[in-house]
Amino acid sequence: MTSLKLGAAVLRGAVVSAFLASALSTTALAAPPVDLSKWSPEYVRSIAGTEDFDTAAECGKVTPLDYKGDLTFWYQGVFEGDPDLLRQYYKDFFETFRKTYPNINLKEQALTYNDLLDKFRTALTANAGPMVVRLQILGGVEFASKGYLQELKPEDVGWSTEDFWPGAMKSVTWEGKTYGVPTNNETMALIWNADIFKRAGLDPDKPPATWDDVVAYSKQIHDKLGIAGYGLVARVNAGNTPYRFMPQLWGYGGGVFDEADPNPTYSEIRLNSAASKRALQASYDMYVRDKSVPVSALTNQQADNQPLFVSGQLGMMISHPSDYNVMKDLQKKATGDDVAKAQTVIDNMRYGLIPTGPDGRRAVVFGGSNMHILKPEYVDGGKVDLPAAKAIICFWTSPEWSLKMAYAGSNPGNLNGFKTKWMKERLDNIKFLDVTTSMLPYGVPFPALPQTPEIMNHIIPDMLQNALTGAMTVDQAAEDAAKKVKEVAGGGGL
Amino acid sequence: MTIVSGHVAASHQAPPTRASLLKQMWVSRTDYLYVLPAIAVMLIVIAYPIYYTIDLSFFKTPPGLQLRDKIFVGWDNYTAILSSEVFWKVTLNTVIWTLSSTIIAFILGFAAALALHRDFLGRGVLRAILIIPWVISAVAASYIWKWIYHSDFGIIGAILVQLGLASRPPNFIDNINSVLPSLIVVNIWREFPFAMIMLMAGLQTVPDQLLRAAQVDGASTWQRFWHVTFPHLSGVSTVTILLLAVSNFNSFIIPWIMTGGGPSNASHIWITHIYELAFGRQRWGVASAYSVLLFLILMTLGYFYVRALSGNDRRGPS
Repeated sequence: MTSLKLGAAVLRGAVVSAFLASALSTTALAAPPVDLSKWSPEYVRSIAGTEDFDTAAECGKVTPLDYKGDLTFWYQGVFEGDPDLLRQYYKDFFETFRKTYPNINLKEQALTYNDLLDKFRTALTANAGPMVVRLQILGGVEFASKGYLQELKPEDVGWSTEDFWPGAMKSVTWEGKTYGVPTNNETMALIWNADIFKRAGLDPDKPPATWDDVVAYSKQIHDKLGIAGYGLVARVNAGNTPYRFMPQLWGYGGGVFDEADPNPTYSEIRLNSAASKRALQASYDMYVRDKSVPVSALTNQQADNQPLFVSGQLGMMISHPSDYNVMKDLQKKATGDDVAKAQTVIDNMRYGLIPTGPDGRRAVVFGGSNMHILKPEYVDGGKVDLPAAKAIICFWTSPEWSLKMAYAGSNPGNLNGFKTKWMKERLDNIKFLDVTTSMLPYGVPFPALPQTPEIMNHIIPDMLQNALTGAMTVDQAAEDAAKKVKEVAGGGGL
Repeated sequence: MTIVSGHVAASHQAPPTRASLLKQMWVSRTDYLYVLPAIAVMLIVIAYPIYYTIDLSFFKTPPGLQLRDKIFVGWDNYTAILSSEVFWKVTLNTVIWTLSSTIIAFILGFAAALALHRDFLGRGVLRAILIIPWVISAVAASYIWKWIYHSDFGIIGAILVQLGLASRPPNFIDNINSVLPSLIVVNIWREFPFAMIMLMAGLQTVPDQLLRAAQVDGASTWQRFWHVTFPHLSGVSTVTILLLAVSNFNSFIIPWIMTGGGPSNASHIWITHIYELAFGRQRWGVASAYSVLLFLILMTLGYFYVRALSGNDRRGPS
């Protein structure tokens, strides 16, 4: 029994050491090739429509267009919270790919953000994965560290690493090796209803500057109008929760580790720091003390906030520029007086920068997705058609399609997408795109660690739920979450 | 013929010795060959997963390692589970869920079966309506109930607010105290028709002449029910209760879809917790240990189920 315990301790130590070493290695990347500070809305406008790209010709250099093969592909597809416009682009993508590569027999499967990781993990345990997968940004490192993925860098599919955001490249890098190519990257913004602000006695054109203001504005809206002020989301195993809470956590100066610092090492757990507790307290104040956010926040996600917003029952929320299109789509489904009500909301929809913490710190999740190729032994059938796999990755990560597939909601993973004519068209058509572009310099990537999906999808939402339901105090919830992070980092925990 | 005669002979003699058992098996070898494919399939789809789950329950599977690189930890998963607060919370939830759902669904089903046993106008229509919750998809029902219960714009909340009975919609599923009872209501709604159907079938077997004889002897309605009808339903009642209990112990769809076990684990029952541990958090070893414990409990319930069935067989048709 003693030797077992000793063995377990040694193993735990080894796992922790590997964890820390890997964490350090992911931060030891070369200096960022992309200067984020220059990516202002003006810069984006200045480069939009300046270059033409021929996707078929570029990808034809990677995989000949007459190549004959078979390909299985799983991807995080559109879901209920996405606009119809995006659905059309996804349809167009697969049609165009099949026309361009008529001899590749593609079997694709779309999965929602919340289901993809669970299903993919399960398939891999039975060696029944697809050849290519498009995963959310926080998933890649987990699978790379487990050895499921083949090494893959942008150069392998005809592009250059310098054409992608450094934060995105970090999310596909494990122990100095690259395992994927980013498709899109996103930063969200604060959305508010100017009409609700006005009726609640707030300046309709002045969004809350700080997170403390968000708490105060949310209360004022609720007290004056009897509706929810801020669209809090705290559901477990839903991507929407960390995307909305982490900016708040970072804004207050907290974090899971030191991921919001310029050179993170992920060696220190900060979830139970005073700053992190202040961030959690802000959520507690809105949900419990002021009751100024949707009660259903614990079981709902952002897709449930959208109908609330379009019906004028929600004052503020954090989301993509695509929510403007989503509101228009929802209006089309409205009937009677609701059409006019929805129009009032759409006319009064405003976008602004995500608020700062008390010390002026502004942060947002640097989100997105990446494409990966699996090793043959984990693929259903035991084979990977590499040329076919590279063809679809080249296609999706091309300037044209990485832009089109992110048309309404985020930014192209391939920076050359900003130079295309479609970007120019997009700037004219997609309202509020500038605001989310302005948030790019504040983007913080999730920690590039195998444990990140569990931390973001379970531990963080659990912490919120424990505090908001009264199951624990704010202090206890933060301490409990920090303890769980420590256990997970050590390879244990229930 | 061989089997029948062999069975009859065996049932009237002393228990077979090992040699005689082997001899009987040899005599019936052709019959064993007939069932061999079924046994092979059962070994593959039932026996192997059980073996693999038991084996896996002695290993740890950290997030950074593949399942095949699992680390042997002996009984650690079992001791960790039994010493964890969440385990006891989830176990209590499971017991409350199973007992409440089973007992109340059975009582409601019994009442409905008795009501529908009488002949009255519209009986067929009412019977069809009452069966609806049981025949519709559990997934669809869960989504519908999620909207009915919605804490901000649910139908129940809206009606209560409109009628002035509440100032704001009641919090059914976003509250740690009300979430489990709210889900149990949905589960009972879905399951009582099953009990109703089983007991309606049972009621058909109660001999009319006995009831009439009791009536002639001056027995009241209650006495006829308690002394004639109810004893005749004891077999089918036992089976119904056991089937409901096993089904409720294994429930997944309603709690998973409606709340995912939340908020704050307040509606997690064993199956949802095991699913989350395995597929959401990759704790394959811990989830397997949970499954082994669950398996033992269900096997115990299964034992009583088989005994109840055997008892019915011994008693013969009522």
